[in-house]
Amino acid sequence: GDPQNLKCVTHNLHKMLCTWDASSRGRRGQTDFCYTTNDLTPQVCFKTKERSIEIPVPESSITVTIKSPGTAFATKEFVIHQKDISFVPVTPHILSLTPDFPTSTLNLKWSDNGLVFPYGLDALWQIQILRKEAMEEVTQVTYYSKLTHEDVILSWNWTSDIPLECTSHYVKIRCYINATQFVGPKNWSDWSPAEVIPGKDTEPGGSGVFPLDIVVAVGSDVTFCCVHEEDQRITNMTYGSKSYTMMQLSSRSYAIRVLNASASNSSGTNVVCRLENGMVDGSVVFVGYAPDTPQNLSCETSNFLIIKCTWKPGRPSGLYGKRRTKYSLFERISSKNVSCEVNEMNRERVCGFPVLPDQTTYDFILGVSNLIGQAQSSLLVDITQRVHPKTPEKLTVTGNNSTSIQLRWFINGSFAGIRLLCQIEIISGHSEKKLHNVSMPGGKSVSYTAQLNALYPNTKYQFRVRCAAADHFWRWSDWSRGLEQTTSEA
Amino acid sequence: MAAADSPSTALQRRDLCSRGIRLAGKMRADVVDLLDAYVEQQGLDASASMAVVEGVPLAAVERWDEQTGTQRLLENLAAYRAFRALLAQMLEEQREQLGEADTGLGRALAAVLLQVSAFAYHLEELLRLESRGIPGEEEEEEDGPPPPPRLSLFEQKLRGLGVLRELAQWAVRSARDLRQLAKPSPATGTAPGLAENP
Repeated sequence: GDPQNLKCVTHNLHKMLCTWDASSRGRRGQTDFCYTTNDLTPQVCFKTKERSIEIPVPESSITVTIKSPGTAFATKEFVIHQKDISFVPVTPHILSLTPDFPTSTLNLKWSDNGLVFPYGLDALWQIQILRKEAMEEVTQVTYYSKLTHEDVILSWNWTSDIPLECTSHYVKIRCYINATQFVGPKNWSDWSPAEVIPGKDTEPGGSGVFPLDIVVAVGSDVTFCCVHEEDQRITNMTYGSKSYTMMQLSSRSYAIRVLNASASNSSGTNVVCRLENGMVDGSVVFVGYAPDTPQNLSCETSNFLIIKCTWKPGRPSGLYGKRRTKYSLFERISSKNVSCEVNEMNRERVCGFPVLPDQTTYDFILGVSNLIGQAQSSLLVDITQRVHPKTPEKLTVTGNNSTSIQLRWFINGSFAGIRLLCQIEIISGHSEKKLHNVSMPGGKSVSYTAQLNALYPNTKYQFRVRCAAADHFWRWSDWSRGLEQTTSEA
Repeated sequence: MAAADSPSTALQRRDLCSRGIRLAGKMRADVVDLLDAYVEQQGLDASASMAVVEGVPLAAVERWDEQTGTQRLLENLAAYRAFRALLAQMLEEQREQLGEADTGLGRALAAVLLQVSAFAYHLEELLRLESRGIPGEEEEEEDGPPPPPRLSLFEQKLRGLGVLRELAQWAVRSARDLRQLAKPSPATGTAPGLAENP
């Protein structure tokens, strides 16, 4: 019969597949297919039994002659212009669909087949997410990319609002390539076959409450589901002490939606699924806060051996045990990192960092993190300007006459390289209090002495001492224990 | 027919039994208090029915009155050794999950664990009195319970509930067992040897 309805479709802008019909049933024999792009080039001919043939896409137009068998050879000539050729990209191929159950995230990878296209074309990818046994559409997202005349693997993540375990999730993808130079009609590709991540409700023995033992921020909206065995029925689902309306996801899976979750106690909030046979299944969720930015970060040393940093933690995270907030002190100059043991119940937070040889300036970053978030504070400090000596010990009298007394005391720590300023409080019997300042070179765990003159004879005095860094005063040590001594008679 | 005890052995046994009964009574009271605190802190439903928890010895026993004294003691000893391991695991999980936030419950759990250990030792004393062989811990540990499967947090909470409930039942049973052991034999007026059925 007469060839008719010649249509040509290209998938890659280079080759096109032309198909035609025959006007009547006619015997299917050998067809002669010839084409020429213009008068100058010789005709190219094929013999084929099919009613389709792949030939190059013309720059502008192409003349096709189809001679098909029949009572008499019916010959038909067609002129196809580029504008008559439709461009339908090849159906995208999903390389992988990978679930991350703890975060309910799907990762999709596919190839953009860019090699066959010119550099720089814009490509649009529509990604469809479907769910449940009925494959209901959850969302459709458009993703943009640019083709680079290479086959590039594209990757895309999607986080589900319900745990992936709860029911099966399906993903399909199709593409549209904005071939600006191509004048023919441009269409979306076909949808790819759906890739599936099966839910636990498709697994025998997959029952349980999901997500299992997660940590979320206060105020989150969370969906929990109960997957039960075929022969069971759920009577109710509770979050904490409150019962929630259930939504059916599949024949074996029901979900509840908890909005604006409030902080849980230290052992977490139970999500309980009660079954008709009286059994219970459940999960625990820990609802807490991301760490606050540490306030008033301050670092000092009392002995030039350890730097002690303290800070105010801000709001408690509400997370404990192995989920507690973790602290680390990183020093940028030495790149040394120290993790801090912190008791979440103590208000004061302390972390020790070793004094490093030949380093007095420290560029600290206090990192704070838990499963919900992280924060940090930084501090640049010269520890020679942050000396807070320990309490002077073993205050003793080493010399005594009627008008003067020599005192000696000991300070634990290594202060070689700095001068110490010590203040001696002198309380005499007349309850007259004087402060006597004396400075001296620091030493390494040594004792220090001071001579007090112009005292009254035969008078009882009480002394105590405290010390600080003489240059770059930072903080006094605590006062030493008191010492009582009477000057000798004149 | 086993020979009856000497008066001193019978006296010792009665003393050990009465002390054991007091220990069991104190333990039961503490376990009930701990159970209340546990249910509240873990956010559980006190009335929740549960499947039998794997590895927890059941206090209920058939034909209780037909048991010999030795059977009673050996079953009690095996149970309290199992509870010692279960409570130790609960304590470790508690510390892992709650860390410093676990103050009261952890201490109460540790106190009950101490009582369970003491009670197990007491049972060994009773068995030694009768020069009965005491099953070594190693014998039990060799083919002892396989390491427990990795439980989810909710399952851990439920297992803890099951352990404490059953331990409270055992404390009651132990007191009954010890009263049974302490009873004088009708014929000789002295307590029977453990092999006999009092």
